[in-house]
Amino acid sequence: MSLKPPKYAVRFLIFFLKDELQEEVLGDLEEAYYFNIRKYSKNKAKFLYWYQVLNYLRPFAIRNFSTPNLYPVMFRHNLKISYRTLLKNKTFSLINIGGLALGMTVTIFIALWIYDEYSYNANHEHYDRIVQVMRKDISSEGIQINSSQTGGAGVELEETYSNYFEYVAMTFFRPEPILLLQDGEHFREMGYYFQEDIPHILSLNMIQGSRNALENPSNIIISESLASKIFNEENPMGKTISLISGTDLIVQGIFEDLPGNSTFGDAAFFGSMGLIYNEDRPFVWNNYNMKIFALLRENADIEAASRSIKDVMKPYRGVDDDPRELFLLPMKDWHFYATNQYGEQVAGKLIQFIRLYGAIGIFILLIACINFMNLNTSRFQTRGKEVGVRKAIGSVRSEVVVQYLTESLLYTFGAFIISLLLVYMLLPSFNVFAAKEISLPWINPIFWVISIGFGLLVALVAGSYPAVFLSSFNPVQALKGRLRQGKKNERLRQGLVVFQFVISIVLIIGTITIHEQIQYAKNRSMGYQTEGLITMTGSRTVYQNMDLLRTELKNTGAVEEVAFSNYPLTNTLGNNGGFRFPGSSNPIPISFNTIYVSPEYGQTTKFELVAGRDFSRELGNESASIIISESAASAMGLDNPVGQQLISKYDFNDNSSLVFTIVGVIKDMVKGSPFEEPMPLMLFPSSNPMRHMFLRAKSGIPLEIVLSEIEEVFDKVAPEHPFEYAFADNQYLTKFRAEEQTGTLATLFSALAILISCLGLFGLSAFMVTQRVKEIGIRKTLGASVTNLWALLSRDFGILVIIACIISIPIASFVMNIWLQDYEYRIHIYWWIYAIGVISCFLVTMLTVSYHSIKASLLNPVKSLKTE
Amino acid sequence: MKETNLGDFEETLLLIVGILDKEAYAFKIAEEFEAQLERSVSIGAVHSTLKRLGDKGFLTSEMGKPTAQRGGRRKRIYEITGAGQRALKNSRDIKLSLWSQFPAFADLKFNLG
Repeated sequence: MSLKPPKYAVRFLIFFLKDELQEEVLGDLEEAYYFNIRKYSKNKAKFLYWYQVLNYLRPFAIRNFSTPNLYPVMFRHNLKISYRTLLKNKTFSLINIGGLALGMTVTIFIALWIYDEYSYNANHEHYDRIVQVMRKDISSEGIQINSSQTGGAGVELEETYSNYFEYVAMTFFRPEPILLLQDGEHFREMGYYFQEDIPHILSLNMIQGSRNALENPSNIIISESLASKIFNEENPMGKTISLISGTDLIVQGIFEDLPGNSTFGDAAFFGSMGLIYNEDRPFVWNNYNMKIFALLRENADIEAASRSIKDVMKPYRGVDDDPRELFLLPMKDWHFYATNQYGEQVAGKLIQFIRLYGAIGIFILLIACINFMNLNTSRFQTRGKEVGVRKAIGSVRSEVVVQYLTESLLYTFGAFIISLLLVYMLLPSFNVFAAKEISLPWINPIFWVISIGFGLLVALVAGSYPAVFLSSFNPVQALKGRLRQGKKNERLRQGLVVFQFVISIVLIIGTITIHEQIQYAKNRSMGYQTEGLITMTGSRTVYQNMDLLRTELKNTGAVEEVAFSNYPLTNTLGNNGGFRFPGSSNPIPISFNTIYVSPEYGQTTKFELVAGRDFSRELGNESASIIISESAASAMGLDNPVGQQLISKYDFNDNSSLVFTIVGVIKDMVKGSPFEEPMPLMLFPSSNPMRHMFLRAKSGIPLEIVLSEIEEVFDKVAPEHPFEYAFADNQYLTKFRAEEQTGTLATLFSALAILISCLGLFGLSAFMVTQRVKEIGIRKTLGASVTNLWALLSRDFGILVIIACIISIPIASFVMNIWLQDYEYRIHIYWWIYAIGVISCFLVTMLTVSYHSIKASLLNPVKSLKTE
Repeated sequence: MKETNLGDFEETLLLIVGILDKEAYAFKIAEEFEAQLERSVSIGAVHSTLKRLGDKGFLTSEMGKPTAQRGGRRKRIYEITGAGQRALKNSRDIKLSLWSQFPAFADLKFNLG
């Protein structure tokens, strides 16, 4: 039987008791224990021992666990030393801080952008309960997801499924800007005609009026900004706004503008759909011209609701028809939703961009961190002495580590301040560039928590390796100047340089590929001439006076020709299939872009006829003639299409015979995306009113004069029509906007990456050269030429860059091929793209490195050998 | 200003230190306290008060000889200082004066030598 006092109690006592009290207290308690053990049982004695130990938990006896006075002193000391190191080597510090600041700026911008994308729509109060009703079309070719719905479905959802939905509201599938009139002034504004409950679903913040305002179809609610635009200081409530169609609406509500990053952020007003759909014109089940939005009840389960509405369409579909199922898409998915051909949810383009830019941001930051690591560890000989002294006078390793981490913290902090300033200054241009309304959340504490956390993380990543490496030195060797960095550390540093350059080269190759791809698509033959072509979207007075306008415009002498169409030149809307050849009962299995045009369409757009003839007014009624594009001809398998007859399913173009004759073939017109294969086109001549107007300016006459002539005609013929026009060549260029944005970003990113990498290399080569000053001197005295020395000093870096080139080519080709996959009309990555990327990177690096090596080679050996 | 008042517990401990003389160390003091006053006290509480008395200048202490009983550890022996004795006397005088003015016990004679 052990007579010792309870082990854990003793341990605990030793743990908390002041050292100077240990002997007497342990003695006293042990004596008491032996005293008690004679008097009571062993357990009682143990218990009493514990009791005594716990009674020593008094302020006078407890040891001081924190050393509050020492840390601030050490921290100040570390800061001071770091600050002195920073000043001692200004170039080096500038490279480090500058590189880190650039990297952090890029990362902050990307983070702000990603945050903005993820907070899309999140401002709505019922964000988690708002849903859109979507449609799943299942056919043998796969599953297609659509958002267009029938009005019938909307009505049924509202009436039958009210246990799930608090509110349901429909709107037109394809909203367009609408012309408003007030006091004779015109305003073209984006707005939505909805069913009455939409203000409740979107939880609009009403500044005036109530969310029930749309219950009366002749009411309209307008945004705060539109209110001040139309009515200035006046109170708009109760005022009248006219639609261009002549209907008068009364303003019965003002809502707070929705933020730009929301689905309805462009809404200047909400009108009532009751204007068009009412008792006289009910909703139907065969016209997919609606979108349906709904607010789920608070306790409703979205999965269950989605399952229960699946078969709403079924009773209204034919037995042989492919099934169409409905489901609910929660608001949080609206912005990012994308599906593949099997209807499975996949990462959409936006998510891919977020991932791509996120990755690039992190890579650029890593490049900057690597600079910090390399520049610090490469100076190990100078800094090694410092470590030696520190250790010799009693520092333990952890204290040296803390010293270096403090240093990296100081650098990161400086870089962070600079990058915040940069972000602040560049944010306006960034917003213009990215078409965003991002602001820095200065007052948001979470922003600061994340920022500071981010700064600490960067400091840790950048500082950890130098701290561990530099603190590992043996003080004796360090002070004797016999430090060897070891193969492992040298390899690691070289590996990091290679990593930097792999990223840079991949980015450069990517940039060149993107620009090539854009240029390739831009140089593509459009099939018509956009230069000097003016487009306008007409209102009723315009298209009811088509012929008059044309004559008047041509009479000015400034307009060569005028044409109309039911669709603009900028898209491939208007699709129809079901055509067949005479004598065959099988329809041609493709869908055509079918548009109506006035007979002068060809002369106005200057499309290129390759066979047959153009439409002509002189020939009288041409409603049975059509012109097709080359791709349409080849899709139908026609070698000699002119004269070929086609039979349509419907009576197109008032042609009751359903038989059409191909009279001409034109080169494909690129109306949709210039990166896609052209859509097979069919043109139907028509003299009915059509909304889209095209004017061909006479060449040789300055456009300003042409425009003023046109305006004069409009003032005469259609005075209330706002004179709004666009140039077809500008419109065409907007199709490249997304790609050019990517291109600009890629240029920026790769320039930054190579800049930061070279900054690092510049510093690194400077230190390498200083280390070898004596060697260079000796070599020079023994007769080495400047070229020899330059080659010697630059070779090491050259090899690293070459390795980086070899690694980066397959990576670049892999990544860029994935990117190109999205484009039907695309380039191959030619060998010279790689060559340019690799060679330019190699040249830039060699230039950077050569600066120091040539400088060192030119140095007079007398000087370098004299110093000691 | 340095605190020189004497609390009740402090006064008792000071007296016991005087009684125990060369054997006045924390454990013994606590034991004596329990024996004389029939009240239990923890060594920690005693130690803490002894430290306070030391701070006030009423006690001095030094480490004694190691003994086997306590695992070969030395003990801290306390000794009353002149100031301590004066404080005790002062405290007793005040109390006596108070006692003598208390009518119920006014005619009682204390033999206090």
